[in-house]
Amino acid sequence: MKGTLKTKAIRLMAAVAAGATLLSVAACGAQPGGGSAKATGANATVWSLTDSTWASVQQTFEDWNKANPDAQIKNESFANDSYKEKIRTAIGSGNAPTLVLSWGGSPVTDYWTNKNIIDLTSDLDSVVKEKVLDSVAAEGYRDDKLVAVPVGQVQPAILWTNKAVLKEAGISDAPQTWDELLDDVAKLKDAGKTPIALAGGSKWPYLMWAAYLIDRIGGPDVMQNILDGKKDAWSDPAVIEAMTKIQDLVDAGAFGDSYQSMSADDKKDTALLANGQAGFDLMGSWVYADFGTINADFAKNDLGYAAFPAVEGGKGDPSMLTGNLANYWSVAASAGKESQQTAIKYLKENTYSDGIVDGLLSSGGVPPVKGIEDKVKSADDGTGFLTYVYDSVKNASNYQLSLDVALPADQGQALLNNLEQVFLKQITPQQFADAMNKTL
Amino acid sequence: MSFVSKAVAQPKPARAAVSSNKSAKTAAKSTKSGKLHKGPSLWYTAPALIFFGIFALIPLVGVLVLSFMNWDGLGAITFNGLGNWVRMFSDPLVMNAFKLTIILTIVSWAVQTPICILLGTFMAGTQKYRAFLAVFYFLPLLFSSTAVAITWKNLLDPNFGVGKAFGIGWLAHNWLGDPKTALWTVIFVVSWCFIPLHSLLYQGAVRQIPQTMYEAATIDGAGPIRQFFSITLPQLKYTFATDSTLMIVGSLTYFDLVYVMTGGGPGNATRILPLDMYLKGFKSYDMGGASVVGVIILALGIAVSLILNKLSGSDKMESQMEGA
Amino acid sequence: MIRIKNKQYNIVGGFLGWFWFALIVIPIYYIVVTSLRDQSEIYSQNPLSLPKHFTFAAYGRVFANDFLLYIGNTLFVTIVTVALILLVTVMAAYAITRRADAGARAIYKVIITGLAIPMQATIIPVYYLIIQMGLYDTLWAIILPSVGFAIPITVMILCNFLRDIPQSLFEAMEVDGATEWKIMWRLAIPMIKPAIITVSIYDALQVWNGFLFPLILTQSSSNRVITLSLWAFQGQFTVDIPGILAAVVVSVIPILTAYIIGRKQMVAGLTAGFSK
Repeated sequence: MKGTLKTKAIRLMAAVAAGATLLSVAACGAQPGGGSAKATGANATVWSLTDSTWASVQQTFEDWNKANPDAQIKNESFANDSYKEKIRTAIGSGNAPTLVLSWGGSPVTDYWTNKNIIDLTSDLDSVVKEKVLDSVAAEGYRDDKLVAVPVGQVQPAILWTNKAVLKEAGISDAPQTWDELLDDVAKLKDAGKTPIALAGGSKWPYLMWAAYLIDRIGGPDVMQNILDGKKDAWSDPAVIEAMTKIQDLVDAGAFGDSYQSMSADDKKDTALLANGQAGFDLMGSWVYADFGTINADFAKNDLGYAAFPAVEGGKGDPSMLTGNLANYWSVAASAGKESQQTAIKYLKENTYSDGIVDGLLSSGGVPPVKGIEDKVKSADDGTGFLTYVYDSVKNASNYQLSLDVALPADQGQALLNNLEQVFLKQITPQQFADAMNKTL
Repeated sequence: MSFVSKAVAQPKPARAAVSSNKSAKTAAKSTKSGKLHKGPSLWYTAPALIFFGIFALIPLVGVLVLSFMNWDGLGAITFNGLGNWVRMFSDPLVMNAFKLTIILTIVSWAVQTPICILLGTFMAGTQKYRAFLAVFYFLPLLFSSTAVAITWKNLLDPNFGVGKAFGIGWLAHNWLGDPKTALWTVIFVVSWCFIPLHSLLYQGAVRQIPQTMYEAATIDGAGPIRQFFSITLPQLKYTFATDSTLMIVGSLTYFDLVYVMTGGGPGNATRILPLDMYLKGFKSYDMGGASVVGVIILALGIAVSLILNKLSGSDKMESQMEGA
Repeated sequence: MIRIKNKQYNIVGGFLGWFWFALIVIPIYYIVVTSLRDQSEIYSQNPLSLPKHFTFAAYGRVFANDFLLYIGNTLFVTIVTVALILLVTVMAAYAITRRADAGARAIYKVIITGLAIPMQATIIPVYYLIIQMGLYDTLWAIILPSVGFAIPITVMILCNFLRDIPQSLFEAMEVDGATEWKIMWRLAIPMIKPAIITVSIYDALQVWNGFLFPLILTQSSSNRVITLSLWAFQGQFTVDIPGILAAVVVSVIPILTAYIIGRKQMVAGLTAGFSK
């Protein structure tokens, strides 16, 4: 008797376990998008970056949450690279956070074409047009509709210098031309320094070199043809020459011998410059704040900045910039109506509000906002850097969005890949052009 | 697909044959006693088949289907004919990844197998210090690939890694950063990671070799080396076939270790097929192209299993088993 | 006699044995000492020397990063996965070996096919399936495919053990009028306990250390498992070497504890399970 009871009990338990499993699966299956990035009710979710420059934005979430207990915005911070890896999957699976962060470019186009993000024109068009510099605001529009609202600082790529190191190597000023840069590289090498710090492990820093060189040599049309997908656009002589020049630099030992494994997320390149081991670093303006953290003394006394040098005989205008314009917020279509309203309300109140502008400036970032010359000037801490960035962006003849963002994802990845091979001298400039033409 | 079960069933064909014989007898007996007990209902296999079907068989077909589709991970899935296949076969990245995968697979197999046989044989012994060593031997088995990758990435760092510790210049080389050494370094770490498990297999197999064989050989005056080659190695034949299949099929999927350690770089020096598949699918959002790479990996795995099966001459075993 | 045989292998095997020992111990020692070192000493001290100032600060940083939650998630995933695997595979293996007819053999073959196939190559359809099932970014997204992928090897090992049970025992129970269900629970399962332990350990290790499914099928930190958090941690705090290595230590500790408690069963079980 006892035996059968026990067996029955075991049998029952097993059946219950099996049933429960199937049920739980079925239950989960019944509610698509049960993932946790989705918000409930009027609450919203947002993913932002761990980068120090995001502190002022994250502060606005905290302030918002105190003021709006019924419509909380839950923030989660990611490292740059892992964010990029996650966001598209999240959107594709209908699990996007309410506020979708991007860098503009082709991802926004994709999201918009696939109806993953909503039209914000009626709610935010006036705010954006009134406040944001035109070149930065324009990137947020698709089909004449506002779909991505700028946030954060403008981020052109800057040629950073360590003035003390340059001086030690007998260099008085930042190079104005490519030939001067080559001379400086030789001098720095003789002085036992890594001439140029380069975070090749992250791959995208290579793009800054390519974009500047292509533009300085061939002018903005070359890049535009590529972005327009014109046949064989990568075979332009300017591209070939730019790649040749890159390999000249590599041959000259300009980047040292471990650049290919240095990651920009680690700030290894900025540390190299700040700690006096390198003379130059071509990197986004956003690292300005990092220099202070790594070596405050250096940031105050020896940090220099310059425009990318001109190339002799090139068609490009040295005022042209490349880099990220700013970041952008979009509102996910998959979010609930109430969550979307929360996000929109947040954007209305927080798109370059005075608090954010001041916060950005005090943390060393330049907001792409119209008519803040005085604010920028007073925030400048003696190095004049903020004014320099603000003026460069305002006066730039052309501002090329980072190529990996501007190009469709597969082309962008192919570019990163082939460019890396150019730097590692695994392919010739011609092979680079051929490989890239195939992606068009 | 019967070749697969052959490879795996090899070690114990005799027993399988016997048991099916026996159950036939049992069935006959039950019939006699009026109880039709053919064993439990096949429904017992249903839950396993459902899981296996949904998460293994359907994806298996799915990857083939997707290889003819265009999908960017966001929009709709559209038919693309042979487009992805043509594109992938002219993609130098895929060719490069194919080559690297073959190298990684063959070299890591060739490095691991002798070490595992020797270690396994050694571990099967009874020296006193062996017990002490054994405590440590299997530790890598406990580490996740992520942990192993992070550990070695730091150990091999030219600035603060082990090279600096020993003050040996060449050891402080940028092993993972140099395209010339990265793949070999990966093979080394892969071996470190997987040798424990495979030595375990060989250890168990060596322990099953009847002692009498060694005793007889000793009496015949065979030395230790000859005993190893004339008794131990031949006796490990089936373990060798099974283990090699597991090892090679496994090495076609070394994703996590390489992904965390190098991300496929520097350049494309360690961009093996699984990595290429992942990067195509989840960085370039070319799910169709990535599926083509997935199919290539599958085809490679199946081909290897087939070849190994043929080489180890299991056909006879199989027919024996089926015939029983 | 055994003695004689083993002494013979001392030279080659012994050398290799000690070399392998060093190759295991040095990295582990390195992780531990570095995790106890102060960040500022990373570049200045010999990497294998004992730290001048022992500090547990790195561990503080790791636990401040929700590692307990991640360990909890991983425990949940591992336990549920292994329980599910055992439930479905024991039943399947039992039916396959007991019946041993054409149908059972066909099913066995289909399942075992999975062993020779690099299943990870099908990750894209799995990803698609999980999204369609609405399970993306849940712990079930890791559990269910893990169960599916573990079935071939688990069924193979269990079948190998089940075949060893003498038929007479089954017959005896049948004569007593026991149902198949009862025979499975009362006879088969107790008899293959070692195999069940083996596959539990093996599958648990696989799931605990799994990376691909969590990487592709989950995203938010509330659903993060230990391997993924390790990866995320090193991506986020790349310069904090003691912190990263402390995270590695923390990730291994639960498994290591299990190893220390049950080392004998674990090693013996795995040896027996695979070489059968």
